[in-house]
Amino acid sequence: MKKYLYIFRAEMMSALQYFSNLFSGFIGYFIIIFILLNLWNYIYDDPTELINGYTKTQMIWYVIITEILWKIFNGRKFCRQICNDVKGGNIAYNMNKPYSYIGYVLSSHLGEGLVKTVAYVAVGMILGKIFLGTFPSHSVSSLMIVFLSGLLAVIIDALCIIFISLISFYIEDAHPLYWLYSKMILILGTMFPVEFFPTALQGIIAMTPIYVICYGPAKLFVDFSMDSAIHIIIFQILYVLVAYALCLALYRKGVRKLNVNGG
Amino acid sequence: MAVIEVKNLKKNFRVKLKEKGLKGSLKSMVKASYRTVEAVKGVNFEVQEGEVIAFIGPNGAGKSTTIKMLTGILYPDGGDIRVLGIDPTKERKKLAYEIGTVFGQKEQLWMHLTPYDNFKFFGAIYDIPDKEAEKRIEEIKELFELQEIMNTPVRNLSLGQRIRCEIAASLIHQPKVLFLDEPTIGLDPVVKDSIRKLIKKMNKEYHTTVFLTSHDVSDIEKLCKRVIIINNGELVMDDSMENLKYHHLNKKIIEIKLAKMADFSNFDGIKVLKQKDTNFKLEIDLKKKSIADVLKLIHSDDLIDMNISNTPLEEIISEIYRDGVKV
Repeated sequence: MKKYLYIFRAEMMSALQYFSNLFSGFIGYFIIIFILLNLWNYIYDDPTELINGYTKTQMIWYVIITEILWKIFNGRKFCRQICNDVKGGNIAYNMNKPYSYIGYVLSSHLGEGLVKTVAYVAVGMILGKIFLGTFPSHSVSSLMIVFLSGLLAVIIDALCIIFISLISFYIEDAHPLYWLYSKMILILGTMFPVEFFPTALQGIIAMTPIYVICYGPAKLFVDFSMDSAIHIIIFQILYVLVAYALCLALYRKGVRKLNVNGG
Repeated sequence: MAVIEVKNLKKNFRVKLKEKGLKGSLKSMVKASYRTVEAVKGVNFEVQEGEVIAFIGPNGAGKSTTIKMLTGILYPDGGDIRVLGIDPTKERKKLAYEIGTVFGQKEQLWMHLTPYDNFKFFGAIYDIPDKEAEKRIEEIKELFELQEIMNTPVRNLSLGQRIRCEIAASLIHQPKVLFLDEPTIGLDPVVKDSIRKLIKKMNKEYHTTVFLTSHDVSDIEKLCKRVIIINNGELVMDDSMENLKYHHLNKKIIEIKLAKMADFSNFDGIKVLKQKDTNFKLEIDLKKKSIADVLKLIHSDDLIDMNISNTPLEEIISEIYRDGVKV
């Protein structure tokens, strides 16, 4: 475990060196939140109105959280890195080191993610405070649970991207698959809570990663209850275990057919 | 004791074939055809503890494929490998703790970290306790003379400094066998020489077995006592450097400057490589003519200058690549 913590730390140090790169991301984040704020202000007639169980304030906090998660995921770069590792043969050079490749990429992704988490949570909270004036009420323990759920969400998203990227062992380019996945998360996950979809669709969405990646942590932040927290966290842990097992199986099968040329 | 044992090692690659043009592309979409390339065809050899051996061959000969199978990166299609008694395909992680690898064309250091942080990182991934890691870093810093660059991010180092750090990083866990795949590629002669000295020093200090591939003949000549040559996936030579020179150095180069014109073109065993006025460069086949025979052809009063040298090792190796010498 110590080695993965070291990888995590090393990537975090690297992300800190490029901290100024985050500023352009803040601008994009601000624009999105500003657009969604105006959209929901327009949709809600008065602040006390409930739409699908959400007040206007809850709805805006919901998108602030899902957009923070979306920024932390940064899946395109992550997917490209793994696809390049597989296609360029770099993955082979990780094989003769005493660590698991999946553990390696996951901890380096989380290391980079932590810096972004601190930055975007701060920016998100400031924007929320400016636009809405209040925070959802939380105790220290409930905030810890929300944070745990957010961490599990980032891990599940990373494992899904690792799985998609490892398909590069079999197909020429896994990017189109990632594109489909990311758009599904963006459109169905970050914009609206699951309750906004038709009842028939809600059951299906509850089974997809959207539920554990976006809905879970954001729902817990805007409307915390211990029952839903237990339900969401258990579901997330199951997702982590299954996704990790699938990644491992795909990786083990893939490296056997790896061809590394040159030299 | 043999630290590397390779028996009848084989590796095939399946290469997709495509006929030319659009028609070929469409055809290969419907029914793809493949060709099997035998990259390594039943190779056998052993490496003893503490040896520095050169594993060389032309491009595409199968040397990198072999080194990758030895380090557990590629799965062989046949045969048996034991590195320190460990099968690399079955116990890759266990082997990783015992071997070090440096691939000259692939960096393993983290570019944004300093050498010190990189060494600490390598210490952590090889499960070395912090105190012990610090001690080894200190030792390696001295041995590789890295004092001045220890706190400079790797991306700001020169190629030579980076390679020095790459080798140093691969030694943190004190591997018993070090695989170096073209470690001096792209380096200038001065840096090359310092890397060679380091490898020698490391072999002497830690008794590390070194398995080296290189296209640079000077690397081989200066570092290795034994040479294995692979070509077209087969071993064409496995011999000591001394034997290689002894058996294959049956030619000498004589450069002479004469006062008068002479003719060397009609003698069996003498080949005129170059001639300009009365300056000659001759290649003498020692199986047919001795140096004394050649000297007899020259009147001593006419001789202004003379230089006798061996055929460069590079030429000998090129000849072996071309013609092959079966072991």
